[in-house]
Amino acid sequence: MNFFAAINNGLRELWANKVRSLLSMSGIILGVAALIAMVTVVQSMMGGFRKFVELRGGIEKIQISKDDLPKEQEHLAGLSVGITVRDMKAIRVGAPLVRYISPEIRAGWEQITLPGRQVNTVVTGVGPDWVPVNKRELARGRFIADLDLLQKTCVAVLGAYTAEVLFPGNEEPVGKKLKIRGTTFTIVGVLAPVDPGGPPGRGSSGRGGISRWMNNGVYIPLDTAISRFTGNEVLSALNVSVGRAEDILHAVPQIENILLQTHDGLQDFRLETNEAMLADFQKTEASFTYSLGGVAGISLFVGAIGIMNVMLASINERIREIGVRKAIGARGSDIFFQFLAEAGVISFLGGVLGLGVSFGIILAMNSILAASIPDATTATVKPVIMLAGLLFSMGVGLLAGIYPAIRAAKLDPIEALRYE
Amino acid sequence: MTDSRSISFAAGPRESVPLAVLRDVRKTYVMGDEQVHALDGVNLTIDHGDFLAILGPSGSGKSTMMHILGFMDKATGGEIIFEGEDVSRISAARRAWYRANRVGFIFQAFNLLPRLSVLENVILPMRYSRECDMREATARAEHAIERVGMTHRLHHRPSQLSGGERQRVAIARSMVNRPGIILADEPTGNLDSKNVGRILELLESLLVEGLTVIMVTHDLGVAEHARRVIAMRDGKIQEDRRR
Ligand SMILES: Nc1ncnc2c1ncn2[C@@H]1O[C@H](COP(=O)(O)OP(=O)(O)O)[C@@H](O)[C@H]1O
Ligand SMILES: [Mg+2]
Repeated sequence: MNFFAAINNGLRELWANKVRSLLSMSGIILGVAALIAMVTVVQSMMGGFRKFVELRGGIEKIQISKDDLPKEQEHLAGLSVGITVRDMKAIRVGAPLVRYISPEIRAGWEQITLPGRQVNTVVTGVGPDWVPVNKRELARGRFIADLDLLQKTCVAVLGAYTAEVLFPGNEEPVGKKLKIRGTTFTIVGVLAPVDPGGPPGRGSSGRGGISRWMNNGVYIPLDTAISRFTGNEVLSALNVSVGRAEDILHAVPQIENILLQTHDGLQDFRLETNEAMLADFQKTEASFTYSLGGVAGISLFVGAIGIMNVMLASINERIREIGVRKAIGARGSDIFFQFLAEAGVISFLGGVLGLGVSFGIILAMNSILAASIPDATTATVKPVIMLAGLLFSMGVGLLAGIYPAIRAAKLDPIEALRYE
Repeated sequence: MTDSRSISFAAGPRESVPLAVLRDVRKTYVMGDEQVHALDGVNLTIDHGDFLAILGPSGSGKSTMMHILGFMDKATGGEIIFEGEDVSRISAARRAWYRANRVGFIFQAFNLLPRLSVLENVILPMRYSRECDMREATARAEHAIERVGMTHRLHHRPSQLSGGERQRVAIARSMVNRPGIILADEPTGNLDSKNVGRILELLESLLVEGLTVIMVTHDLGVAEHARRVIAMRDGKIQEDRRR
């Protein structure tokens, strides 16, 4: 018997016992559906979360900020000055795992004026690493460079929303001049917009769903901000990022040690990473995986028993047929593969039906998620997962078919023919 | 040139040696302390192109001998030479090969597969012998079905046929792989007299093509058609008569 004849034979047997076959498939159907739904939902949750973390600089980012002193150091509060340029320089020298260092000085909420127009927005002094640490990109022009800091040049980079407000239409912002507190700055670049997700229109400028809060602002060289606006070297934020996410573990204590030195032992700083978010998310992911994985596992186990059961019943009904096949020349292996092919056909069809059911589950989950979390990303089944689900169900079915097929193959032809 | 088909139905290359030789063949079943000698020292030589009828009371070992001759069962003692080769101690896979290629079985209960059509039933032995592709197998099956006069029922199920028709399809199935011998265990036992006649005619027509036929029967009238009649009793050959 060749492969196609065996498949054809399996389909025929299945069709001859439609209801029984469908019942025996139900476990496999549920198992595959749960499996595919689980992997898809977890994957889309992962994807949504990754996007969320990326928008906040990714898991490579460490935020260093001023903190209240612990109880035992409260009496030294007068000595606490916050995070300064000195800390930044010490980290640059002493923490080799840190790849990018992005100091920020918030010059304040300023009025930006151009001939004939004006806007109020946040002015921040930053360095060149601001772009990689925050995983941002430029839409046009260039960003602030090391040389701008050294020479305290008066250049500015605009956030996408700010650029849109100041230069509506197709007007080119790069090269134009603007005034902040009477100082003239030349615009050298415009940031690419970031979309923090969510339905279009929500909190956005209304054009392309650009959200205001991340796309607002004017960026100037750090040293320019110090000399022209704040007059001191206290940073409003210091963000750094490591080359590889795994380096976070070692970079954090490294930075803490350096800061304890530069702060003369004062614990007036705090390090935050996105890891806590990641841990929270992984907990959710795990609970999803376990509950749906449990359902999938149990269903597939039940499915395997169902298939084994229906195969044994079918063999019992067809003992005579097996005897006839052997009498006209079938070898044990022919009978074995005939019944294995039947198990394969049942489980493959079960897998296909399970795939259909999984679409239903995912549709339902999507609508539930959309109703409860407006920002939720919708899940779609990837072809690889469909294929994996089908292969898995066939694997389960074939495994369950082995024992019945061996029993059929071992039947003695004479006894089988005598069987009524 | 002769028609290649009639050559291939002929007895094969070893015309000089007998088709099969049984020497002191025994089949003993052990049931608890008791031993049942289903075959108790059978000696028999079967020539090419012969037509044997085996008579004997129920339980005398007729079916057991057919099973052993048909590679369905192993003897517990003695020697069996088939087409010049000692087949007394061959593997299960080798026995399956002989069943698929060298012997054809016809049963009292027809034993067609109910879910397959007439054509598919007759194709089945060629699937297991793997001697030819689907197209050739179909052509050969159609030819065999034509030989038994069932061409008008190619796509019917066995359940849609009468007993006589089913047995004719079973004969087509038994000969489609061009075996050396056809073993028929009470082939007419379930048929009325009119159909018995047709089946006997068919079996006799196979002899013309050089096939060897062994037929078990209870019916003396049926046995009359054979050229050689063997009577069995208690697992032994009691009488061996050539007509
Ligand atoms: N599997 C078996 N186990 C035990 N005894 C058997 C078995 N098969 C056949 N026999 C015995 O062998 C003897 C011959 O059986 P069988 O060849 O079927 O006789 P027949 O076909 O002539 O009626 C009988 O006594 C029968 O009971
Ligand atoms: Mg019998």
